[in-house]
Amino acid sequence: MRDAGRAPEVDFDVLAHRTLAANDAAWAGLRDCPVAWTPHHGGHWVISGYEAVAEAFRDWETFSSARTDPAVSSITISGARLPLLVPEELDPPEWHPVRRVLAALLSPQAAERLRPRARHWARVGIDRIIGSGRGELVGDLIFPVPAAVTLEWLGFPEADWPVFSHAFHDAAAYPHDTPEYRAAAAAGAAVLGRVTEEVAARVAEPRDDGLTAIACAEVDGTPIAREMAEALVFMTIGGGVDTTSALASAAVLHLHRHPDDRARLLAEPDLWDPATEEFLRVYPPARTHARTVTRDVEFGGCPMRAGDRVLLSEVAAGRDPEAFPDADRFVIDRFPNRHLAFGAGIHRCPGSHLARIVFRELMGELLERIPDYRIVEPEVVEYPNWSMIGGWAALPVAFTPGPRLGP
Amino acid sequence: MRVHVDVERCTGHARCWSVAPEVYELDDLGYNVTAVKEVPPGLEEQARKGALACPEQAITIED
Repeated sequence: MRDAGRAPEVDFDVLAHRTLAANDAAWAGLRDCPVAWTPHHGGHWVISGYEAVAEAFRDWETFSSARTDPAVSSITISGARLPLLVPEELDPPEWHPVRRVLAALLSPQAAERLRPRARHWARVGIDRIIGSGRGELVGDLIFPVPAAVTLEWLGFPEADWPVFSHAFHDAAAYPHDTPEYRAAAAAGAAVLGRVTEEVAARVAEPRDDGLTAIACAEVDGTPIAREMAEALVFMTIGGGVDTTSALASAAVLHLHRHPDDRARLLAEPDLWDPATEEFLRVYPPARTHARTVTRDVEFGGCPMRAGDRVLLSEVAAGRDPEAFPDADRFVIDRFPNRHLAFGAGIHRCPGSHLARIVFRELMGELLERIPDYRIVEPEVVEYPNWSMIGGWAALPVAFTPGPRLGP
Repeated sequence: MRVHVDVERCTGHARCWSVAPEVYELDDLGYNVTAVKEVPPGLEEQARKGALACPEQAITIED
């Protein structure tokens, strides 16, 4: 039994909303309740106020992301059956040396070195459609570019790229009762098989690529365990291929619906820096993360018990009017903008630096070469739920044709 | 003006460096290593923006 006298209870089902508008409205409904209990999904806490979300993200000792069930991901509230997500589903001390491997590979300086590759793949994507005057921006550009940058850097052969990216993208983009989702689940198993093969191949014969850097990394002075390297590669693929796509799909649709913002970005490219942060605040690709309470604690005036499940909302934190003036409005040059789209605390997204670079190159190439694109609104397809990753599965587009630039 | 960076609180977002690269310095993992620094004349505005950009609120400014 909950201490209902002290803990506000809300009727909030994070999996119930089929559209962005419905999910945004549901989060807005919790605004007077930064910490609350909901009976859905076995019963869990919902933390949605900016300061409370940031504090919970930072207090990893109380709000742990470590696995409690070997088969079930601890960072989703839906009980998704996923391989261990490393390093997020480790707590210190195991977390630290593994996180270090990824932090070094994806530091701001290292990510900057991949900018030319992001520009290259964005150019290839635009070349694919620019001659015809129409296309489908998710399939032709938004979805292949982040995948190509990530998988080329890791060192997977090009034949793997569409298989891998479909496995992650389709699992997020299609409802669970569709053939596409079932195919994605099967493809996920194939991805794991390929990761195992390629990690073994790099241990046997190192190359100059990301797979080698992970497979041959040292953890506390000894070679990284094989299954830890495989898990790290799997998480890097998952983080790299579909989250940046989700953000870019939201931005492309936003700029179609808000011609004034598009015009300002075309006229003042320096606005891309603050605009990127504002896209992240308003349309965070990872909208929520779950945690497990490790000790009895009073948090936000609510009595939490060890073992309770908690849902932290990056998206609701970003719309908190206490933290952001005019929080529901997209303000292209908003500053400061301390959104929590990449989380906070020790588990904050280590791919954030590369994500910003890929997003900027992809969006810049699109706006520069196809400035007059129009989304065919009736044919737009949203992801089937906005509980964790939100985005658009299809954005058909028409525009004035232009010249290909070639390789 | 001096900046104080709580390096224990820094988790490597690198937003300070992104808006104020002449004030804040990163290690090779992207974490702020500035700790305490006298802000060179003319960079006060940059230093302030860097502090405001930090999602961990790890930077304080001493005028």
